Amino acid sequence: MVFLVTFHWGGLLASLLLGLAMGWIAVVHRGPGVSKPMSRWLAVLAAALVGAALARVVPGRAGYWLDLGLVMFALYLFGCAVGSWLRDWAVSRHAPAA
Amino acid sequence: MHGLFKWSSKWWPGVIPLLVLWAIAAWTSTAPLESELAARSTAALRDTVLDKGRIAVAGRDVTFAADAFSEDGRRSAVAAVEAVPGVRLVNDETRLVPEAKPFVWSAERDVVRVTLGGSAPLPASKARLLEAARTSLGGVEVADQMNLSRGAPPRFDNAALLLLDQIAKLKDGKVTISDTAVSLSGMARDLGGREAIAAALKNLPEGFRIASNEIKAPPYIFQAYKDPVAVTVTLTGYVPDNNVHAAIAAAAGRKFFSEKVVDNLKASIGAPSGFVSAVVPALGILSRLSTGTLVVSDREVKLSGDALYDTAAARIRTSIEKDFPQGWQVKGDIAVKPPAAPVDATVCQQLFSELLTKGKIRFESGRAAIDLDSAGLLDRLIETALRCPTASIEIAGHTDADGEDAFNQALSEKRAQAVADYLVKAGLPADRFTAVGYGSTQPVATNDTDEGKARNRRIEFMVR
Repeated sequence: MVFLVTFHWGGLLASLLLGLAMGWIAVVHRGPGVSKPMSRWLAVLAAALVGAALARVVPGRAGYWLDLGLVMFALYLFGCAVGSWLRDWAVSRHAPAA
Repeated sequence: MHGLFKWSSKWWPGVIPLLVLWAIAAWTSTAPLESELAARSTAALRDTVLDKGRIAVAGRDVTFAADAFSEDGRRSAVAAVEAVPGVRLVNDETRLVPEAKPFVWSAERDVVRVTLGGSAPLPASKARLLEAARTSLGGVEVADQMNLSRGAPPRFDNAALLLLDQIAKLKDGKVTISDTAVSLSGMARDLGGREAIAAALKNLPEGFRIASNEIKAPPYIFQAYKDPVAVTVTLTGYVPDNNVHAAIAAAAGRKFFSEKVVDNLKASIGAPSGFVSAVVPALGILSRLSTGTLVVSDREVKLSGDALYDTAAARIRTSIEKDFPQGWQVKGDIAVKPPAAPVDATVCQQLFSELLTKGKIRFESGRAAIDLDSAGLLDRLIETALRCPTASIEIAGHTDADGEDAFNQALSEKRAQAVADYLVKAGLPADRFTAVGYGSTQPVATNDTDEGKARNRRIEFMVR
């Protein structure tokens, strides 16, 4: 794992920053969201992909790309969560003052 | 927490650039990752002994194929690749090197090269055998046709190295190890090579045995050439040792009374049994020929040349049939030299004197039996006597002054008579010869020294 992180730190860092940015925006975004049933399906899909990766059923390069994608996606989600939480904290600190 | 769910429904637009990022990362990192993992896997296998090792990486999955020399070695090699950081899966395509039964290794030498074939137990021992072959055969091409197999007997390397040393002593041939049985065949390079190989084989490692040793020795050659123009006898080839060398040189000196003996003999082991008792009579026959060649090759004797007269040729042919040890093959090609021109009695006397100055008719000590070494000289005397058929010849016997006069007188008479009988047997008419004994009454030198006594013991031919 240490080897993979040192090998891919650029891509992983980019995913994390992208997530932070997206999370920061999402709190005040007024556009359409993902519907509840849809997000449930997406969660199932993500779980299935994680399951496939852990079970190592996808061979060769495709397996490597799956692992890489999932790690990047996980960091993206983590970035989003942190970003959104930070933005929400910033907004709520200003709101009482406003 | 509820907020997190609410916000997360708005996170999806970032997934689009994330997909692009993912594609870029996958595109740029796959090839470097694969080569990095291949390099690390190869490095992890550096200390393991494998044949035909091959590593192929797809993504983080390593396909590892190799021939291992033991089950433990195979497992530890797979484990070493599995432990490489970053490797996800190892497709194990390793197998054990096939077991050879029987385990056969061979080294074959022909004119230009040595071919190593069969099975070797490990890459290291294969390399060592090749290296040893190149060193011990300096300059000869070494061809490697060895496979790697399991199932070698213990101490195989030592046995094979010892046999490679023996290959250097062969002109051509083959050595084979089949399990623990060693077979050798071929022709030794030098005389004695066969014996040297047999001696070296005693040091074979424990457990190995000689199944067959069919190394042949090159022929053991002894040659003698009598050259009537240069008046020499040239001896070439081999004798078993220095004692035999001295004995043969001495016999040649006695038999070839007028020729110079050129001795080019070398001592070497490997002589056939009965060598001396075949070479000495063969030299005796050669001494009776006016010109001739003797070739002894192993147990085959070839004699060719010209006898001095008919009866001598007939006697030589008889001698060829019976004077050689059992097991020896003798081939004679004996012709008769054309008779020399007749001469008158005076010239005959001169020729007799010349011959008897160069050589002496020898007898057994204290007896009247003619020594076989004098056959050549007697043939010359007979040939001379044939050139003056009308001359009457007195054969005079003399002794030295040792012993009683009566005994010396009788001995000189008997010895003169023995020579006369020899001439008559050779076909000369008996009435031409008178045998006379003078005892020690007519010395030609002092009887006080051994040398003088030797000169006084003599036979003289006087033409009357």
